[in-house]
Parts: sequence; structure tokens; C-alpha cells
Amino acid sequence: MTNLNAVDPAAAAQDAHLENADVVIGKNTIIFRRFMRNKTAVAGLAIFLALTLFSFVGGYFTQWDKETIDPFNIGMPPSAEHYLGTSQAGIDLYAMTVEGTRISILIGLIVGLVSVLIAAVYGCTMAYFGGKVDKVMLFVLEALIMMPALLVVAVATSGGGEGLKRDLPSWLLLIIVLLVFSWMGTARLIRSLSMSLMQRDFVKAAQYMGVPPRRIVWRHLVPNIGSLLVLDITRGVTGAILAEVAFSFIGIGIKVPDVSLGVLIGGATSQVQTFPWMFWVPLTVMFLLTGSLAMMNDGLRDAFDPSSSSSGKARKTKARRISAETATMKKKAS
Amino acid sequence: MSSETTAGPAESTGPVERLHIAGLHAATDAVLSVRDLNVRFNTENGVVHAVRGVDFDLLPGKTLGIVGESGSGKSVTSLAIMGLLPATAEISGSVRLKGRELLGLSDKAMCEYRGNELAMVFQDPLSSLTPVYTVGTQITEALTIHNPTMSRQAKEARAVELLAMVGIPSPKDRLRAFPHEFSGGMRQRVMIAIAIANNPRVLIADEPTTALDVTIQAQVLEVLHRAQEETGAAVVMITHDLGVVAGMADEIMVMYAGKPVETGEVDEIYYNPRMPYTMGLLGAVPRVDVAEKTSLVPIEGMPPNLLHQPTGCSFAPRCPLVSDACLAGEPALAPVAGGVQHRAACIKAESLGGADVDVQDVFAAPPVPVSRFDSIPRTERSTVLQLKDVRKHFPLTRGALFKRRIGTVKAVDGLSFDIREGECFSIVGESGSGKTTTLLEIMEFHKDQDGEVVIGGISNKQAVDAKTKSAMRRELQMVFQDPTGALDPRFTVYEVLAEPLQNVGMDRPAIRKRIMELMKLVGLQPDHVNRFPNQFSGGQRQRIGIARALAVNPKLVVLDEPVSALDVSVQAGVINLLDKLRAELGLSYLLVAHDLSVVRHISNRVAVMYLGKIVEIGEVDRVFDNPRHPYTRALLSAIPVPDPQLERTRERIILQGDLPSPLDAPKGCNFATRCPVFAALPPAKQEKCLTLEPPLEPVAPSAATQALEAAPVPSPDQRFACFFPDGELDEDMLVVHEPADHHAP
Ligand SMILES: Nc1ncnc2c1ncn2[C@@H]1O[C@H](COP(=O)(O)OP(=O)(O)O)[C@@H](O)[C@H]1O
Ligand code: SF4
Ligand code: SF4
Ligand SMILES: [Mg+2]
Repeated sequence: MTNLNAVDPAAAAQDAHLENADVVIGKNTIIFRRFMRNKTAVAGLAIFLALTLFSFVGGYFTQWDKETIDPFNIGMPPSAEHYLGTSQAGIDLYAMTVEGTRISILIGLIVGLVSVLIAAVYGCTMAYFGGKVDKVMLFVLEALIMMPALLVVAVATSGGGEGLKRDLPSWLLLIIVLLVFSWMGTARLIRSLSMSLMQRDFVKAAQYMGVPPRRIVWRHLVPNIGSLLVLDITRGVTGAILAEVAFSFIGIGIKVPDVSLGVLIGGATSQVQTFPWMFWVPLTVMFLLTGSLAMMNDGLRDAFDPSSSSSGKARKTKARRISAETATMKKKAS
Repeated sequence: MSSETTAGPAESTGPVERLHIAGLHAATDAVLSVRDLNVRFNTENGVVHAVRGVDFDLLPGKTLGIVGESGSGKSVTSLAIMGLLPATAEISGSVRLKGRELLGLSDKAMCEYRGNELAMVFQDPLSSLTPVYTVGTQITEALTIHNPTMSRQAKEARAVELLAMVGIPSPKDRLRAFPHEFSGGMRQRVMIAIAIANNPRVLIADEPTTALDVTIQAQVLEVLHRAQEETGAAVVMITHDLGVVAGMADEIMVMYAGKPVETGEVDEIYYNPRMPYTMGLLGAVPRVDVAEKTSLVPIEGMPPNLLHQPTGCSFAPRCPLVSDACLAGEPALAPVAGGVQHRAACIKAESLGGADVDVQDVFAAPPVPVSRFDSIPRTERSTVLQLKDVRKHFPLTRGALFKRRIGTVKAVDGLSFDIREGECFSIVGESGSGKTTTLLEIMEFHKDQDGEVVIGGISNKQAVDAKTKSAMRRELQMVFQDPTGALDPRFTVYEVLAEPLQNVGMDRPAIRKRIMELMKLVGLQPDHVNRFPNQFSGGQRQRIGIARALAVNPKLVVLDEPVSALDVSVQAGVINLLDKLRAELGLSYLLVAHDLSVVRHISNRVAVMYLGKIVEIGEVDRVFDNPRHPYTRALLSAIPVPDPQLERTRERIILQGDLPSPLDAPKGCNFATRCPVFAALPPAKQEKCLTLEPPLEPVAPSAATQALEAAPVPSPDQRFACFFPDGELDEDMLVVHEPADHHAP
């Protein structure tokens, strides 16, 4: 078997394998497969989806809602009637958690998605036009970064924003304020990334071939920034959820009667000793939320990274499988 | 530590004493001896056999050159000796420093030796110096670790002495400088100073000059040579460039796939190689000193995957002489009959000796391609590109809020040249001399440029509308330096090649057909079009880049350092391809390269640039065989050639310092600050260089030819810009290593 005696049968076999055109798979399929291969990330996705589902349909599994007071069960620990117990005021914690989770997820998703969208448009515009446009837009951006977000949130949701408060629920107000302050970092990142992409040789090559700028942006810039955008969405969602919790915790975010995880946690901290369930339940949900997002983020980063070890692993596993095949072939032959 | 080493560097400062310490061992005692060194890495993909059975003995004051392609295990070998491999490495064998075993020592125990008796210089001088400490601190730190009792003054004095030794001007002031204030070459010298601070017995240099310009490479090699002389250390010099070690090494070890495949005394290896791989490596290097044109020897294929233990000769898949016998077991490194300590791992080693073996035949190098333009005199060919007095000045501004103009960087300053059909024109010079900017100015092709660019008869000064511009783009295409960066990682090869074709409005079936043609043209398998760039090797990626440039049938291809990112063996294949395409398609090239050997091999004409100006231009053989400008002479003398005997006796001009900042260049001759002729001139003549700018003038035909011909002789195709081309060279800048300098074998 002299042919198998060559130095690297596995590589050769893989080569032959790759030569079949149908083996070359689409980029999105590769990314999806890489993501699915990452067990942690898949678990994260499952937890996140489960929580989302819970927050939308969980309310149907109990007759209580977040406003009704149960005068017979005030400050009771979990029981058959109140799955997670009740608050000091006699409101069902399960109902409040469902509602709070939904509000938190909504805030997270809306803020995460919209802020990345704003950032992408803003950042690409800066990079594409450059020069004066870039300078002015950058100045606005820097000014916003300098603005004390905490103060503005406090004013908008409590003191100054009386008129606003009357017309808008506090969670919507918080979303707007969070949006205003959350897109700048990403925008700056996208700007510098697209600028460096504009400098890359493959963009220059396209320019020197006379490819029109719009096509360059569409064919070369957008796909190369896409991965960053997806990553930033998960990061933005996590950030928004945490920001809501933090603001509500110190009492300037969501206001009762609206509930959110932050409101629940904030309200319960003083009574951890007496009503521990009131504190631990929303806290656990919050950890599950942010934790599952972090797990997903990790997998996404790996999946998008063209040089990631995961891709190497994937290809090499194939190679190893092939080499195992050749080994068995060898055995059979001899 | 044993008693003999406690006579540390603190007390002994004179080179004589240091040599004496080295001499405590009888000259035959190896200072470093490595036996059966094996390194395996446990990775996720399996066990990588990075080094397999390295053996050598290094005598004091001698130099061992380790040569091989990237990935052949050179660096792992050196790191294993230094004890710097990560914990995932499994090391076996023996490494003895002056008889004491180093393998298996704890990291703490190794620190005793590291930086003291064993020192190392790395490839990248930027990452091996800590940016937050001054250079002085880092040198004294190296001294403190191994000489805790040394006084501060003594350490400072020693640091100054070391910096002076490695040729850093005004060393006392430079102690307080931070690494980022130094250029790459200077940093590498600081690294050498740190490495020799404690008089190491063994100095390992891993590709110390790969990241540097040729002139700086020559300086650094000179410093290494001097450091070795002063400390009497044995040196292990690791490189992929057979030229670099030819003049320095006493012995050579050629590595392939983690194994030494040929070892021996330097002359034996270069003049009588017995292993096809060594022969291929030697044949793949273009020569700067040879005018005769032969094709380079390409070594096809890629180094093997080290995940699998080879069952036959590891070079077999790429070896032109392979036979069935080669696959039956890996050939051992066996002595070659007639050679002094010459060993080769090839079953055909014996038959490969002798003068009748021609590497060109063995590797079936392609014949030298002949272009249909070669027979037409240059003046009768049409011009494809012309530059007239092109300038590009960048304003240099300071201040974050209010920008003040504090000067002008004259990146390109009045460039004129033309390129004719079927011709390869090259621009050479150190980095920062303005080569890339010149290319960008040509590619820019804009009405508001300073100077005129004419491409295929279309001038940038004519009203350039979109249509003429796109007509111009079809005439002119570019190949980039970094083959990886030039291809969108998200495009398949098909998409990469289709882009320029779609852009000129070709329909789908025509595009398909053209792409298949292109793949064949550049020597790629047509059925690889569905692959992504990262599934190709560097050389193949560069072929894709070339195919893309050729897609729309341009007349002129601009090549920016097209082979500098490639290994020599791969480089040879790409150069041969470029040569072939030029001949077959009647292309013209504008090539930018810093490697003068490559330039000599493929160009017809050459321009030497210094600080944005052409200092010498002309036919390549004329300029290289008879350089008139001192800068050209220095550049040429700095290129190492893979010929040990020639290297040892070669006269070398070592330019002082780095390229000065192009900011407000001096009034007179740009080159005066580094010119070896200028330095030797009497002050009266120096005045001329400092006040007048030398014009680019043709070389006068020699008096003899003028006397012979009745009619006025057309001046030869060579012009240069220097007032004193025949001036004496400054002695300080001229280095000749006496043959006695080199120990007889
Ligand atoms: N955009 C720029 N702004 C300021 N200086 C520049 C710019 N581009 C190039 N230069 C300067 O012009 C000189 C020539 O650069 P370059 O053409 O890149 O040299 P080379 O190609 O020979 O390495 C260098 O000193 C470089 O710093
Ligand atoms: S042993 Fe055979 S395959 Fe290996 S180098 Fe020698 S001739 Fe080539
Ligand atoms: S003109 Fe003077 S300074 Fe310039 S290269 Fe000639 S000798 Fe040197
Ligand atoms: Mg350059």
C-alpha cells in the first residue's frame, strides 16, 4: 500500500474530500453549525428561550395577577396556592416575577436591538463620509458619552419628567432614556472597524478595479461588520437588563405599579431576612437571564470568528475521522 | 553555579579575559551539546511532533546555522534549549550546557542559566522589550538578576559599555529612552545588548533580522558578529534565508518536518549538498550577484502535517527523485562518503554528489520564458506608463485641538520614469523611501495630483470622467503584498475572480469560462473555485491575487512586494509564474520590492529610491554590476549571498543609522547624513553636497568607447544623482572580514 504510505494520508484524503465542490458549504450554515457545536451556547439559548416563553405564558398558570392582594396570605412563603409565596402586601410573587421578567426582557431586547441599529447607521455614516461629517458626528457622540446618564435617568423618571410620566409608562420612559445612552460605544466601534476595513487591501483592490463605492459597502463592509453587530446585540441586551435592574434598584428606574426584576430585587433587599423568597426568586431569574446571554455570546463569538479554534477543531475532527477511516481501511487491506 | 562561572562579568570587562573564561574548556569540549531532542505538543487535534531527534555539538566561539522553511521546528528547538516551551510540550532527549543537563530542570533552576550563560535574541524586537521601562532599566535588570552584588554605578557603566558595543550612538543619553523611541533595528541592537550583558556562553538568535530592512540587517549581523568576537560565545543562528548564515556559520543544520535532514560544515552544505531538499532551497534563492538568467527552483507542495509520524522519507511528497524505496522507512541521518562530518538523510545521498548533478534538472525548473518583446529594442516599444515629476507631500501637523503645520513630509518628491511594453520595472529602497506612496499615486489617478501620470495614453490631467477612468482601470491592475489581506475572507475564489469581471459587465457564462482559464493560467486547480481563501496556502493565495489582477486583461500589473510574505521555496514558484506570464501575455510590471535579489532576477530596469527621490535608475544589469551612487553600492553590498566563500571575503558597506525622517529633508544631497563617500570627503567638497542637489545625470560612456566610435555614442541606460561617484569610501563604514577572522575548518 505505497500510496497510503505517503506522509499525510489524512490531509490528502481531506484534500480530495474538499475538491468535491458540494462540500463547500455556505457561510451561514458554517456559523450555525459552529454555534450548535458549542454546548454551553446552546444551553444558554435554551434557557433564554425558556425564560422568554415563561414570561409570556407563565401568567396563565395562576389565577393571581400582579395587582390583586390576597388578604389571607400576606408575606407567606411558597405554597400550593402561591407557587412562590406572596409579598408583604399580599401580592403573588409568581405573577409579579412573570410580569417583571417580561418587562426586563422587553427592555433588554428593545434597547439591545435598537441601539445597535442606531449605532450601525451612525457609525457607518461617519466612516463612509469621513472628513467634516465625521468630525461633527464624532463630537456629538463624545458629548453624549460625557453626559452623566445616571442624572438624566433620575431627572427623567422622577423629578423633571412630570409631563412625560403622565403620558408614558415608566418602562417605556426608561427604554427611551437607556437607548439615548447606550449606542455610542458601539457606534464608535463600528466607525473604527469600518474605517480599518476601508483600509484593508481587499477593499482597496475593489476600489482599484473600479467597483462603485455603494457596492463595496454592501459586498465587503456589511458582511464583515455583521458578526460584530450580532455580538453587540447580545451584549446590548445584557447591558440593558442590568442597567434596568441597577436603576430600579436605586429607585430611579421603573416605578411601582410597574414591576420589573429590578423593582422586585430593590424592594426585597431590606427584607432578605424576613421574606427571603422575595429576594432570591427575582435575583435567580436575573442571573439566569444574564448568564444565558453571556453563554450565548461566547458561542456566537466563536462561531463568527473566522480564525476561531472551533473551526479548526471542526475541520480537524473531520480530518481525524478520515484518518481513522483510512486506518481501518489499512487494517482491512492488510 | 559551578566555580568557573562565578568569575562573572561584573569584574571582567576586557574581551581578552572573557575569551579566557571561554578557554577554560579545552577547545574541543562542546559548550552546548544536544542529543536526540524530541518535542511533542499535545493539542486538541492530536500529538504534534514538532522536533524529532535533533543532535548537535556546539564548540565555544563557533556558529551553528539552523535553516529550514517556516514550520520546520527551528524555533521550537531553540525554545526547548532555553526551557521556554509551554507546559503542553513533552520534551525528551538531552541538552547539556558545559556538561550539565538542562532538560528536566525546574523553571526556577533554569533562570540561573537563562540570560546568564544562555541568552536569546528573538525575531520581533518590539514585543520582546517591555514598553513601560527605559532601555537602561531593562539592561540593568538583566545585570541585577545574575549579579545581585554589583553596584549601581558599575551596572550603569556596563550598560553604557554594552550599548556602545552594539553601536548605539550617544549611549549614555539613550539609557533613559523608552523602546518606542527606537527604530526596529535599534531595538534589535538593544536586545542583543541585553542578551550579551552577562557574557553568555551560548547565544541563540531566532530570525534576528527577518523583520528588518537589508541595510539594517547588515548592521545587526555586524553587531552580532562583533558581540560574538568580544564575548567568545557560541552562536546558534536560526534563519530561513540561506544567504544570512552563509558568511557567519561554521556549521549548518537543515531541518525539515522537525528533523535534521542534512548537517555539516558550511562549505560542504553550500557547495556539495546531498539532500534534495537542501539542493532545492539553494536553487530557490535568486542571486543578486549573478547576471545570467536561469529559472528558480520551485519546491512544489507544502511541508507535511506534523500530526502524523512519517513512515517514509518526510520529503517524499515533494521530492523529484522519490522512488518506492524512499517510502520504506524514514532515512536516517547518515555520514556522506568523502565529506567532513557531513551527514544527510537521503537514500540517494551518495549519487547526488559531484559536479554533474544539476539542481535545475533534478527539480525540473521551467525553461527561461522568452517574451515576444525581448527582441524589439526598448525605444521602439510603446509606453504603457509614464510619470512626469510626480510629487506627494504630506503636511505634518501637531496639536489635538488646533492643528499647526510644523513641516512637510516629502514622501514622493519629483519622480519621473516610464515603462515600456513587455518590460519589468522595479523600484527598490528601504522602507519609508516612498515606494508604496508612488504606487498609490499611480493607482489614485486624479486630476488634482501634483505631476502627470499617463497610463496607456490617458493622462490624469485630461478631464477624467468615469468612463476614461474605467478604461484606465482595465489597463492597470494591482497585486498586493499580503495575499491574505487582499482577499475578502468571506468570498470564495469564484466570487473573488468574478468581481472585476462583473464590474466590466461580462455575462455569467463568459465569467465562468474566464475564471476557469484564469485558474489554469496561474497554476491552480480549476475545481478549487468554491474554496475560501483560508483553505489555501500563502503561495496559492498570492496566485489567486495574480489571477484577479489578470482577469480583465490589463497591460500593466503593479506588484507591491508580491513575494516578501512567502517562504523562499514558495517564492520561487511565484516568481517563475510572474516571469512566465510576462512573456506569454506580453505584460509589463511595475514591481516594488526591498529584496534586491528578486529584483535582479525578474526586472529589466530598476530605480533606486531614497527619501522620495530616484538616486539611480537604469538597466538592471548595469546598475547592479556597476553601481555609481553610494546608496546603491551600500544596498547591494548589504545583500547576503548564499555563497560562504564569497561572503567571508566580501567587502561590505555598513550604513550608519536609519533612514532619517523625511521631514524637511536637507537642502543639498538627501543622502549626505549617511553617505560613506561624503564622510571621507575633504570639507571643501562636502560643502558642495550640502548646498547643491545632485541632478540625475547619465553615466558618461567611457573614454575608450568614445574614442573608438566616430559618431557620438548614445549614453548607456543608467543615470544617477551624485557629485562624487568615484569618491573614496569612509573606512569606518567599510567592513571586510579577514579570512583569518574565520576559523579554519
Ligand atoms: N498618510 C501619510 N501621512 C504622513 N506621512 C506618510 C503617509 N503615508 C506615508 N507617509 C510617509 O511617507 C514616507 C514613505 O512611505 P512609503 O511610501 O510607505 O514607503 P515604503 O513603501 O518605501 O515603505 C514615510 O516616511 C511615511 O511615513
Ligand atoms: S530519501 Fe528519497 S524522497 Fe527522501 S529526499 Fe532522498 S530521494 Fe527524496
Ligand atoms: S552627492 Fe555627496 S552626499 Fe550625495 S551621495 Fe554623492 S557624495 Fe554622497
Ligand atoms: Mg512599503
